[in-house]
Amino acid sequence: MKKAIVYVNQFFGQVGGEEQAGIKPQLHEGQIGPAMQFQKELDADVTHTIICGDNYMGSNTEEAVEEILGMLDGKEFDIFLAGPAFQAGRYTVACGTICKAVKEKFGVPVVTSMNSETPGVDMFKKNMYIMKGGNIASKMKQDVKAMARVANKLLNGQPVKSADEEGYFARGIRHQTWLEDGKPASERMVEMLLKKLNGEPFETELPIPKRDLVPIAPAVKELNEARIALVTTGGIVPVENPDRIQSASATRWGRYDISETDALEGGVYKTIHAGFDPAAADADPNVITPIDALKVLEKEGVYGSLHPYFYSTVGTGTTEAEAQRMAKEMVPYLEKDHVDAVIMVST
Amino acid sequence: MKLEIGNFYVKDIVFGEQLSLKDGVLTINKEEALAFIREDDRITEAELYIAKPGDKIRMCPVKEAVEPRIRPDGRSIFPGYTGDLAKAGEGVTYALKNCSVLVAGRHWGGFQDGVIDMSGEGQKYTYFGQLNNIVLVADTNEEFERNEQQKKNDALRRAGHKLAEFIGACVKDLTPEDTEVYELGGMIRRDADTEKLPSVVYVMQPQSQMEEMGYNDLVYGWDMNHVVPTVMHPNEVLDGAMVSGSFMPVSSKWATYDFQNCPNIKALYREHGKTINFLGVIMSNLNVALEQKERSALFVAQIANSLGADGAVVAEEGYGNPDADFVGCIVALEDAGVKTVGITNECTGRDGQSQPLVTLDEKCDAIVSCGNVSQLIELPPMETVLGELQALARDGLSGGWEDDEILGPSVREDGSIIMENNSMFCGDQVCGWSPKTMKEF
Repeated sequence: MKKAIVYVNQFFGQVGGEEQAGIKPQLHEGQIGPAMQFQKELDADVTHTIICGDNYMGSNTEEAVEEILGMLDGKEFDIFLAGPAFQAGRYTVACGTICKAVKEKFGVPVVTSMNSETPGVDMFKKNMYIMKGGNIASKMKQDVKAMARVANKLLNGQPVKSADEEGYFARGIRHQTWLEDGKPASERMVEMLLKKLNGEPFETELPIPKRDLVPIAPAVKELNEARIALVTTGGIVPVENPDRIQSASATRWGRYDISETDALEGGVYKTIHAGFDPAAADADPNVITPIDALKVLEKEGVYGSLHPYFYSTVGTGTTEAEAQRMAKEMVPYLEKDHVDAVIMVST
Repeated sequence: MKLEIGNFYVKDIVFGEQLSLKDGVLTINKEEALAFIREDDRITEAELYIAKPGDKIRMCPVKEAVEPRIRPDGRSIFPGYTGDLAKAGEGVTYALKNCSVLVAGRHWGGFQDGVIDMSGEGQKYTYFGQLNNIVLVADTNEEFERNEQQKKNDALRRAGHKLAEFIGACVKDLTPEDTEVYELGGMIRRDADTEKLPSVVYVMQPQSQMEEMGYNDLVYGWDMNHVVPTVMHPNEVLDGAMVSGSFMPVSSKWATYDFQNCPNIKALYREHGKTINFLGVIMSNLNVALEQKERSALFVAQIANSLGADGAVVAEEGYGNPDADFVGCIVALEDAGVKTVGITNECTGRDGQSQPLVTLDEKCDAIVSCGNVSQLIELPPMETVLGELQALARDGLSGGWEDDEILGPSVREDGSIIMENNSMFCGDQVCGWSPKTMKEF
């Protein structure tokens, strides 16, 4: 019999509600909460249940992940399941975080479930099977069944069908597949054409992602009075990377004081961006974040003044949703300091 | 214009004394046929084989597929190519159905050549895996391109077209089992009921990207690189006006067989007078330079508007660079108020995570998708190989490779292969056969 391990939060692990959300991870033999139903549905034995407080996972992510990976070390298991997390925001992020870490460290398949309206979906859908889950805990039975259906295919080495057929969030992967009814392209074309001509709804086979275009800002009118800030997705940070910004698929950002700096020095700053050859940027970080030139131009009076911090994250693999969130977190700092314009430097 | 295609159904093919079709059995006198092929003194080596569905046969490098046909009135089946220029699309043509002439290189392949399996897992990847095929395996003295990745394959391809006509001749004086009639009159003054229906054009983008002559698709023997989009009658396409070329990764290609049987045209014909008013074909092309792409898109949109088309279907014979022509043409049509459906394949990479077309536009809101050129395919050894399997690895076929640090060589010592769909002969079937689609995983 194959073996499975299930992760749940403090609530579904029957430790307690919000007041217990700070608890550290616990490893229990056997099945607790949803793990009991997984035991019934899975072609595997659920040997252990891990329980962790959502707040602990959210605020002490690195420690929590490390502790859980430590607990799993030496355990035999063929699949790792987390949730279902329904519409609980922190729980969805926790499920995604731990599934990603377990998959990377142990190389086992992972499956979780969340509601579409949660942050965990966009953060982790490219990394794993996330079943489209219900919004409330009363959907427990059906969400567990859905997770178990895909998990069983993975356990038994059967092919997992498309996102629509199985009910998981598309992972940004498109593959060719034979239609069950074998309907040739010419007939699909005619059906789509007639619907389009007659103004009826139709479904394209190649959805084009909607472009979320931001209009270009009007030119700064009086540059010699403008306060300017510098933001980069090029991953320039102090060498110790104090904010632990990830080298790809970033969810963190930092801002660094440059009020007393005339130029960024190599060896003091570097790039942690994993998407390009870092040699030039490490030798001279100003090639990505041109503090040197901006300081000169400031002295020459070309523009008014420079905001005393530059802002940095990593653009490679970072989702649009995460990028938007990080920008929204940066904006108040800029507004508070009456910044008129931002120079956005990519790589 | 009225075209009658008289069909003769081939159930079996054998070699024998006299070229004939009797009770569904096509008999070919092999020596006579080979002597005919050798009349082209560029052919240095030639052999004929029969490959039927279920046979344990793998073919590589396959260069062309042609449906055997004959015109009882003596006109050539490929006017301007295998014979004198004459009108195509009108009158009577006889066709041998469920049957094709395939041409494979005896040794040498190129970027544009491909693989066909007649049985096993690989059979479903091409349309020709389900047909009764007469396979010409030959070599030529075309030394200038022997080691070129891009080959014109002129002698071999012409041999295939001529052989298709040579074999088709056996039904010249017979009565077809059934007849398909394709008739469309002038675009204006159609009957009142038809004119009430939405009018539709079919926009074809055949391959024409090579600036040097000899590689591109031909229209009445004329290189498609040298045309601006024009109006054609759909019957002309079904009746040999179009001949396939020798450029583009082969899963994206349309064989001459695909033009002769173009399912998209036939599907629009079926709807004509019922749900649509099928106006005809706008024959466009695919170009390399942006200005050429834009010019063709302008022409297509103008013609569609001038004809009063309400709707259009655009199909491209290619991927990558041609996606710009494809998307540009759809956008031009939509901007001109023509409701448009596109048919294409995609290139999402081996992991499925790449952008499907090189350029995208939200106006392309109705796309039929036929496959992923870069899908990895692994197939076991096959008992018989026609041609030279090593060509897949050695000669720069678009879906093969000499060696790979992870995957190893495309062609293994035991005869098993690993390749990209790119080299499945006309595998993506954008002309309309494709039973494949693309889904999100």
